[in-house]
Amino acid sequence: MKNNILAASLTFLTGTYFQVPIFLSPLHGQVDHNVSFPWEKDLPESINELIEIQSQIQKQFLEVQHSVVSIEAEDGAGSGVIVSSDGYILTAAHVIGERGKKMKVIFPNGEQTDAVSLGGSELSDAGLLKITEQGERQYAEMAEARSSEVGDWCFALGHPSGFDMERGMVLRVGRIIRKKAETIQTDCRLLGGDSGGPLFSMTGQIIGINSRISGSPEDNFHTSIESFISNWEYFLHEELHTLGSMYGGGFLGVLCEESAKGLKIIEVVDDTPAMEAGIKIGDILTQIDGVNLDTKEKLTILVSTKEPGTHVVIDYLREDKEISARIKLGKRASVK
Amino acid sequence: MKFFPAIVFIFIFQSYLLGEYIDDEYILPPEHRVNGSFVAELLGPKTDEILKSTVGIIRNGKLIAHGVIVDARGLILSKASSSVGARSIQTYNNDSFDIRIRKRDEATDLALWQIISPSSKNWIPLSWKNEQNRTKVGNWALSVGPQIEELMLGVISAKCRPIGREGGVMGVILEETNSSTNGIEVVEVLPQAAGDRAGLKIRDKIFSVDGRSIRKTSQINQIIKDKNPGDLVTLIVHRKSQPVILRLTLGHRAVAFDLFNRNLLMSGPVSKRKDNFATIIQHDLPLKKEMMGGGLYDLEGNCLGINIARVDRVTTYSLPTSIVLPVLDRWIKSVP
Repeated sequence: MKNNILAASLTFLTGTYFQVPIFLSPLHGQVDHNVSFPWEKDLPESINELIEIQSQIQKQFLEVQHSVVSIEAEDGAGSGVIVSSDGYILTAAHVIGERGKKMKVIFPNGEQTDAVSLGGSELSDAGLLKITEQGERQYAEMAEARSSEVGDWCFALGHPSGFDMERGMVLRVGRIIRKKAETIQTDCRLLGGDSGGPLFSMTGQIIGINSRISGSPEDNFHTSIESFISNWEYFLHEELHTLGSMYGGGFLGVLCEESAKGLKIIEVVDDTPAMEAGIKIGDILTQIDGVNLDTKEKLTILVSTKEPGTHVVIDYLREDKEISARIKLGKRASVK
Repeated sequence: MKFFPAIVFIFIFQSYLLGEYIDDEYILPPEHRVNGSFVAELLGPKTDEILKSTVGIIRNGKLIAHGVIVDARGLILSKASSSVGARSIQTYNNDSFDIRIRKRDEATDLALWQIISPSSKNWIPLSWKNEQNRTKVGNWALSVGPQIEELMLGVISAKCRPIGREGGVMGVILEETNSSTNGIEVVEVLPQAAGDRAGLKIRDKIFSVDGRSIRKTSQINQIIKDKNPGDLVTLIVHRKSQPVILRLTLGHRAVAFDLFNRNLLMSGPVSKRKDNFATIIQHDLPLKKEMMGGGLYDLEGNCLGINIARVDRVTTYSLPTSIVLPVLDRWIKSVP
């Protein structure tokens, strides 16, 4: 009962229910993978294996460190990571704050350049920044969507408490404790100022962006790379999507979880446009106005950035049959 | 400057801490996490050696520091400013012994204690290892947990480097005006900091410091910067056009300004002395300030240095053997 109330209130808040865990194999940790490296095992089995993990991290650290920057604005400092030679930088939404803000980027060698903030999303705490000065930048690779999972070893980098040439960037090592739609939870020991810094896989690809810290130093949160991949065009061109801007926006009224085919409906809220349109539990949403739906955050953004009353076309699968429905978006009921 | 420390996340599910499936979601169990118990098992007998050569230093029944046994005669090395006034130690198996201070060194903040009763000549000292080549960023590092029962695992998280002197502070913000003959105006007094305790008030105009009349803020800085926290300065200020004489004991920069630093609010108490070290190793073990004075070990169980300052929740400085051993060798030779 309590959970239903929680679910309902979250639905009203976000349009989708993003507390529900997704796409993690319940067998993880019990399956005997074809293990070839110590970091692919459940646990290292010897000191030597632990040292192999160390060597792999140090090797990747040398490769990727040139891409990790310190970001300064008038009102604070954070970290970020360059992902293209023309200077796109992934960071946290709460580091950029809004679109069009002038910021200063400091490279690991101490050189500085100017940048301007682009979009992002407060739902996942993803933020995008672009270096404005021409030039070729060293960058790190983004991991493919869904390539990281619970138990993976990883390392986080950042410039906590601002840039410090003598100290350099700070490295923390951990494992993925939990992974949900927009959030990766690790035991990398993070601090303020690490915000926006990258979380790397053992093969040196960006799997997340440092986002939130908890009361325990060994329990921290990262925006998952999936959020950036899924919403890249939106982040590039639109205003930062805020929780506040969501309240007045369009509303569908479903809870869903991510699956290989699309967003699987797990609940349809009473008296909402989704229910009126006949959407049922088990349906899989695949497209909205022709745009593929791969993350819940994308659905939330696409729905809530439209005005209530707007018509959208939603394509979905019911028992593998393709159905298309024209739905008039409603208004989010206020949370009491 | 403030740093983006992000949002502190409050969990809806507490049970995830136990490491289990929640609604089919796999969460990494604690024993598989980086700080898990697997390391002690991998180290085998070395774990016992480390624990047996570590002691808790006790004052008035409370743990105030850790220390390490460095000589068969029961000589113990610890952090001087943390272990002040200690009377006894507690070993890994909860035995209690009385101790007496033997040596103290201001530059390194190290102190040498000796077990005086019950007397024994059979103390087993820890094994040292020259830290060079073992403190590369990313190297695994170990320390003893608070109850001297278990080991904690972390990494060398940043470059070894000197940490400069912080100097004393007044804990006020000053503003220079054009009519400097009236003194330098105090525009903000940080609560509980040195200026506040000495009775400085907003709008006071500082007229002279230690008998030297002041026309510029830089003159005050010049006088203060050569003094240490704890040093006394005499101020003459004009308050409502009346001269007032104040005696001000300079404070620690960390204590005065860090009250407003959110990172430190999240960190809990940190070491008072965390500056002015010739070289430090930085690691990410989240040790309490009462655990300073203990050892930092490599995966072979060799001591690489002495934990000397808790800087914030995920930053600890250790003094490397290259700094510790010359002082210790001198001391050990001079103790009868």
